[in-house]
Amino acid sequence: MISAALSIITAFNSSARPPSNSSHQSHSFVSYFSRIKSPSITRSSHFSATGSIQFAMADSDGEYVADMSDDDIMDHTVTDGDPSAARPKGSKPSKKKRDRNGSKAWEQSKRTWETDLPEEDDGMLNLAGYEAERRRRLLRDTTPLQRGIIRHLVLVLDMSFAMAEKDLLPTRHRLTLSYAAAFVREYFEQNPISQLGIVGMRDGVAVRISDMGGNPAEHLERLRELEGQDPQGNPSLQNALEMCRGALFHAPSHGTREVLIIYGALLSSDPGDIHDTISNLIADRIRVSVVGLSAQVAICAELCSRTNAGDESQYNVAMDETHYKELFLAATTPPVNRTKEQSTSSLLMMGFPSRTLAPGGTTSYCACHSKPCREGYLCTRCSAKVCRLPSECPACGLTLILSTHLARSYHHLFPLRNWVEVPWAEAGQSTACFSCQSPFQEPPKPNREKGKDEAAPAKASAKGVSESGRYKCQVCGNHFCIDCDVFAHMVIHNCPGCQSQSQAVPVGVDGVMAEANGNGHANGDGVMVIDG
Amino acid sequence: MDAVDVSEHYEVTSVDSPPSLLSIVIDTNPRAWAALESRLSLSQALSNILVFVNAHLAFSNTNQVAVIAAHVNRAVWLYPTAAAAAAQKPPAAARDHSGDVQMQDVSAETNNSSSSASANKYPQFAQIESSVFSSIQSLMAETTVQDLDQYTTQLSGALTLALCRINKASQALSSSDTTLSNAAPVNSTAPPPVKGRIVVISVSDSEPSQYIPTMNAVFAAAHNQVAIDTIALAGDSTFLQQACFNTNGIFLKASNPQGLLTYLMFGLIPDTEARESIITPAHDTVDFRTACFCHGKVIDTGFVCSVCLSIFCEPPENAECLTCGTVLALGNYGAKPAVLPRKKKKKKKIANGSGREETGSATGTPKP
Repeated sequence: MISAALSIITAFNSSARPPSNSSHQSHSFVSYFSRIKSPSITRSSHFSATGSIQFAMADSDGEYVADMSDDDIMDHTVTDGDPSAARPKGSKPSKKKRDRNGSKAWEQSKRTWETDLPEEDDGMLNLAGYEAERRRRLLRDTTPLQRGIIRHLVLVLDMSFAMAEKDLLPTRHRLTLSYAAAFVREYFEQNPISQLGIVGMRDGVAVRISDMGGNPAEHLERLRELEGQDPQGNPSLQNALEMCRGALFHAPSHGTREVLIIYGALLSSDPGDIHDTISNLIADRIRVSVVGLSAQVAICAELCSRTNAGDESQYNVAMDETHYKELFLAATTPPVNRTKEQSTSSLLMMGFPSRTLAPGGTTSYCACHSKPCREGYLCTRCSAKVCRLPSECPACGLTLILSTHLARSYHHLFPLRNWVEVPWAEAGQSTACFSCQSPFQEPPKPNREKGKDEAAPAKASAKGVSESGRYKCQVCGNHFCIDCDVFAHMVIHNCPGCQSQSQAVPVGVDGVMAEANGNGHANGDGVMVIDG
Repeated sequence: MDAVDVSEHYEVTSVDSPPSLLSIVIDTNPRAWAALESRLSLSQALSNILVFVNAHLAFSNTNQVAVIAAHVNRAVWLYPTAAAAAAQKPPAAARDHSGDVQMQDVSAETNNSSSSASANKYPQFAQIESSVFSSIQSLMAETTVQDLDQYTTQLSGALTLALCRINKASQALSSSDTTLSNAAPVNSTAPPPVKGRIVVISVSDSEPSQYIPTMNAVFAAAHNQVAIDTIALAGDSTFLQQACFNTNGIFLKASNPQGLLTYLMFGLIPDTEARESIITPAHDTVDFRTACFCHGKVIDTGFVCSVCLSIFCEPPENAECLTCGTVLALGNYGAKPAVLPRKKKKKKKIANGSGREETGSATGTPKP
């Protein structure tokens, strides 16, 4: 560990008392951070029985043992949304009573062993909540926004002592590594012409895990090597940010410069003033987003809001594994360009080489790795042979990509419109899902009082769920099932109905963009909105 | 571990391979088939395809088939159709109060569904055959003269339908709890529960306006480990060539269309799993050039807008992107390449305009 002073941000919460017990020594500095903006701080105390529990109880020295009595332990068995039902009657009406009334976010978190599928009286599963959850993930703003498609992102992984916690199973460290591998795959699938680098924080310094590069296999290999290492030492936010700044220094001005930090600890062991680093980040147009794993930390919130022009939505704290994954992978979507000045757009010269075999079945060396290979791509300007795309021609420096790489990013720019729920009144016109041909429920007969009365309240409660199980594309008017709705919006980004019926397709100069795909052309001719 | 406490004895291991869902997309462009008529008619092709379908179904009881027509102006299901699904539904719905399903006489049902049912034919084969033939007939009957104005087919829609079907089939077979946590499935390492693949029988050219939806479908297929195979009987199907390359499918250019069945049976019968152990027809060259948005020219070096990724064959006027309207900096395009800085020439001082050699002194030698 570097012997830097723990110069942690004295400005924040000076009101916290130093803990009386000497065993709290290692956690004392956490009190410098402002606490409890989100409910997740309580979650931290809830699930980690040894580590940060002292932190949450730092204000209540004397009562500490009493609070850890059986009612807190019983919290582990809380099952459903109603916490009071599962709590024993003898629970102390203490000063925490205010907290007891409203259920905390962590109390509603669904653990796998707590989730029991809701069952209705007749033994049928009530999947309305399940459907609502899937729809919620789906529904998003479909205004075509100008996004930074050519990205340069550094992923910073916390590998400090805090990652040994087991509140996220199996441990924070292992879960983070497996999600990071998923992130790398998804990132390059969504952003094929972007670059990624990985940096770790351990032993008070920043460790370079992989250099900036566009090849997912390289990053995945480096991540796999980390699995044998145990997390240790303190994290240093400032060191990591400085290393990111160095890695992003050469990123061209038309691309984005981003840093995504996975932060498990509640402290940062920095050699200097981190505020200077933040100012430098702003000057370098680097935007930082943080996914916290334990509690909200003031310096992270400040870091995110300052580097994102006051937008605080870039700092989130994960509540459970599913939420963590959701937050982590949300960063694979290209960020919205906020201002025109944020990135200078430019015209890039690119080559689209075709795949060719070496003549006569011979092999030749590629210019990029000097490996013998049979097939390859010839640079369109200087005819140097490269073995893998996307890359930069090693001879003349021309960017070489596949046109399919560009096509892969188009759906971010022109997202598919959300589909709407279909009430029973309109449900009669379809008997089966248009795309997968699976039959729908028949509309209830008006005189069948039994089915209607029971079904109505349960279905109506879930927001965004269609009572008839049908979802309609507003452009082509076809009905689809929930599975196809999710699939069309998450994976395929096409409306099966619009694609299967050609209306008069406007073929013009930008005919490629203006096809009738139900894709949100809110601005008519496809001009994208600049947010804010 | 299981071997220690002998509990592996109780583990039920299924050796059955996962079911394979074959989706066949038939390009039914009437113009293109009319041009092919002398060598292979549509009806001959259909019967060849049905033999291929039957061969696929005969491999395993769990194998499934879907047939889609990519017509000039729409994509429609040939099998299974909504009508067929509706015909199958009433028996399932007709439960009595004890929850039992009313059994029906088999002969009565087959007589209803297919008039040509014979005792010598496997009923599922007959069912598919009658469904495909009747759907094709109604599709051709509904085709109007105006529809024929279009030269190309609705390929992207057909691919999208096929992918939705494969997705649904794999969701039905996978456990439900994984689908919630993996609403955005990212762990593409696990094998899918259904080996899906799409065989496209293509006769017409690729339509440039369908480029983006087709590519969206291709990436979705690659994401779900669905292979797209193509047999091109006629036409220039550039997009399908790229689709096959991106999804590890097989692209066959059939020089003799009359041998369609041979191509299908020898080239395209192995599913994605069997393909790993045999040598499949290789892609020797794949055309990855692209069309520019401004003139539709096929180019290999172009200019790309960094905001919307539109491709231009030359820098647009006023450096303004034609698609998104952004003013683009041209970068250092057209600039001289950076080479070593030019050496500063030593200026020769010429004093007094004469050719006299300079001496060290500030003043000239006094003249006599």
